[in-house]
Parts: sequence; structure tokens; C-alpha cells
Amino acid sequence: MDLAALGLTLRLATVTTVLLLILGTPLALWIAGCSSTKSHTIARRIAQAAVALPLVLPPTVLGFYLLVWLGPARAPGRALIHLIGHPLAFTFSGLVVGSMIYSLPFAVQPLVLAFQHVDPNLTAVAATLGASPLTVFRRIILPLSRTGFLTAAVLTFAHTVGEFGVVLMLGGDIPGLTRTLSISIFDQVQELNYRAADMTALTLVAISFAALILVYWRSASPQAIDA
Amino acid sequence: MTDETPSTGCLLTARTVPYHHHLRFECTLGNLHLHVGPAFEHPWSILFGPSGSGKSSILRALCGLLPNAHARVFRGDPPGEHNIDLTPLPPHHRAIAYAPQQPSLFPHLTVRDNIAFSHTIRSRPSSPVLEDVLSLFELHPLLDRNPNRLSGGERQRVNLARAFAVPDAKLMLLDEPFTGLDLALRDQLLPRMKDFLAARNIPCISVTHDVDEALLLDAQIFHIDAGRITMHGPARAVLAAERERLLNALR
Repeated sequence: MDLAALGLTLRLATVTTVLLLILGTPLALWIAGCSSTKSHTIARRIAQAAVALPLVLPPTVLGFYLLVWLGPARAPGRALIHLIGHPLAFTFSGLVVGSMIYSLPFAVQPLVLAFQHVDPNLTAVAATLGASPLTVFRRIILPLSRTGFLTAAVLTFAHTVGEFGVVLMLGGDIPGLTRTLSISIFDQVQELNYRAADMTALTLVAISFAALILVYWRSASPQAIDA
Repeated sequence: MTDETPSTGCLLTARTVPYHHHLRFECTLGNLHLHVGPAFEHPWSILFGPSGSGKSSILRALCGLLPNAHARVFRGDPPGEHNIDLTPLPPHHRAIAYAPQQPSLFPHLTVRDNIAFSHTIRSRPSSPVLEDVLSLFELHPLLDRNPNRLSGGERQRVNLARAFAVPDAKLMLLDEPFTGLDLALRDQLLPRMKDFLAARNIPCISVTHDVDEALLLDAQIFHIDAGRITMHGPARAVLAAERERLLNALR
């Protein structure tokens, strides 16, 4: 099995998951209407649809646009090259950006659901008791949404491990740099090396299955955390 | 200030003379229209009236929990000199303690942590006030329980205790504080709650439609009906008139 590909895949999934949870939380709070004002309903609905877009778009479409827009031919790509000194395409950072956009709904949607389930009376009472919005988030919303965070983390991780189209379009297939497990399988099958492909496939199945067991285990017993 | 008050606005002026506490409050709540002159000259005031008359909304607007309500709250000591406009302040800066009608206890915290919440977030985990509040509401046996293992009455006591424990509260708002409590317990708690607040110079506004409760407290009553304050004054006077009105309606 391609150990370099396994290491790269796990690193990509970890970085993507951590960054998406950090950036997805404020976005999910806003979409769920947990901010101080419940205004901008239309904007929130549009944002929700935009977040879900990677679910329905073919990954190759997403990868194609990212390749073009992050390349030197377009203004955003040029600005980025000016900023970091090299193009994002065909680099690990490029893969992270692509994976974050591709896995965005898997991080944001469980968080939105979790935040919407927090009784707004609880956050209102916490505010009258002297809690600032940040304290309300830290002491009320966060502990009551732990299952949502776990689901978001595991789904994002597993989905990033399994992505193919975006990584191939944006990263190419550079061994040790942008060749992930799912691309590795493709290469092994192309080379008719079915034995290696079998190993790689089995590894992916094991990772995905373990991740889902973790999600269902915890979400089946939300009270167990608090008791 | 009044030039911005829309025609549907309500003006509620509150003053508690013995406690050097002045509170004035204007708000727009849908088609609710209230106007009261200088009043609230009593440490405990009651908003009294039928369901849907806007009593709870007034409390929520005072706390700053109705973002779309046009509300101005002024507090000063003495009146007129050090008025603080509370309107731009978010709920957590208003120093107004509030016990909602639905207990809304934090489900992930024990009874002890629920009551101490206002202290914990100020990094003051232990305080003599907390001990007083626990004794007042007789909550010592329940401290380590989770809210989902409490009865309705126990929940309500924790809800009240959590509001009473707020340090430096300048005003106490209680929405139907005795829902789910039996009469004996209510009669026992009421005078003690009144003494607790009086000892700390905290005026209280509560919402009820229970005549007994209003008479027991000997409070200042604001009778709200169809979005207006129809009567206000001492409990005995207002409620006698209310009884008269009901009797006339029966004849």
C-alpha cells in the first residue's frame, strides 16, 4: 500500500476538519439564527443554499473552477500568488482549500442543526444572568451541541478522506505531495495492480466505517455525556 | 426622547421612592399602548391582567430580550440627575435579574451550577448571597441533581433561586413566579422573598393573575387589559374595584 498517500490523506483530513470546524462555527451560528438579531432571513437562506451546493455539484466542476480561479490567469489567483509567492494549484495548501469547500456542508449542516436545537430561552436567560454572547456560546451553546460538533468533525474527516474529483483536478497526482488514497486506488487499478488496490480500498472502508460507528455511538446517547 | 416615540408606544414610569430607585420605560410592542405617570412607588409591583395582555412582553422588553421592541429604560439615583439610558445596553449589561415563566434551566448543569451560573461567569464561585438563596428556597437537598430529575415545583424554585442569586441586580423581574408551587409553599416563600429583596434594595416587578398573591404581597398593582393600564394603585384598592366589576358583570 502507498503509505505516503495514507499519511497525506490523514494529514489533509485532519487539517481540513480543524479549519472547517473553526470557520464553520460562526457561519453555522449565523445561519441557525443564534446571533443577537434574527434579521437577514433572506441572506441566511441564500447562505444555507450556497453551503449545500457542494453536495449537488459534481466534484470535477468544483475542482475545475478552483483550478481556474486559483491559477495565475484570474485576479484572485494572481492576488494569492502575490501574497504567498506561489500558485495554490498542485500544492498541499491548494488541496486544503479545495477540501474545505468540498466538505463545507458536512461541517456546517450538523452544526446548524445542533445550534437550532438549543432552546432560545436558555440563551436569553443566560444573557439576563450577565453572560456575554461569547460566554453564552462557551457555557451554553457549545456544551449542548457537543454531539453536533462530533458529527461535523467525523463526517468532514471521512468525506475528505474519500474525496477524488476535487483533489485530482486541483492537486494533480503528484506522489507524496498531492496523491491521496482515493487517487492511489485509481492509479493502482489503471496499472492492473488489483492486490494493492484491494488493500487501499479496505483501508478506506475501515476508516469510513469506524468514523460512522463513532457518530452513531455518540448521537444515540446524548444524555450519557451529561449524566 | 419622546419625539421618537411612535403613536403605539407605551410609557411606563417606575419609581420606588423608599429605595431611591427610579425607573422609566417606554416601548412599542405591536399594538400595545400603555401610558402611566410617575408610579411604582412601592418595592414590589405587579402587572395584573388576563392572558395575552402583554404582561410578559413588558418584562422581556425590560430585560432587553425583544430586539425589535422600541424600548427605552432609564435608571438613576436620584431621579433625573444620574439617569442611565439602558436602551443601548445588551441584556447582560442591564443588571436586571429575570425569572421567566418557563423555568428554562440549563440541562447540562446541576442545580448548584444553575444557581451559581451568574457567579461562575463573573469568576466569583462562592458568595454569601448564594448560601442565602439556597436557604431561602430550601434547595440544599437538590444541589447535585440534574434539572431533568426535578419535579415541576422544584424546577420553579431553582428558576427563582437562579434569578435571586444574580450579584448586583438592580431590578428583579418575575414572570408568574409561583406556577407549579402549592399554595402552602407559596405563602411560606412570599414574605421571605419580599424580605430578601427589601434587605438588598432590589425593587421587583412580577406578573400574575392570582388575586391572593397580589393581596399577600400588598403590592402596587397595574391592571392591564386590552393593551392599556386600566387601573393602578395599592392591591386592596385596585382588586376591590376589580371584584366589584366582576360582580356587576355577573348580575
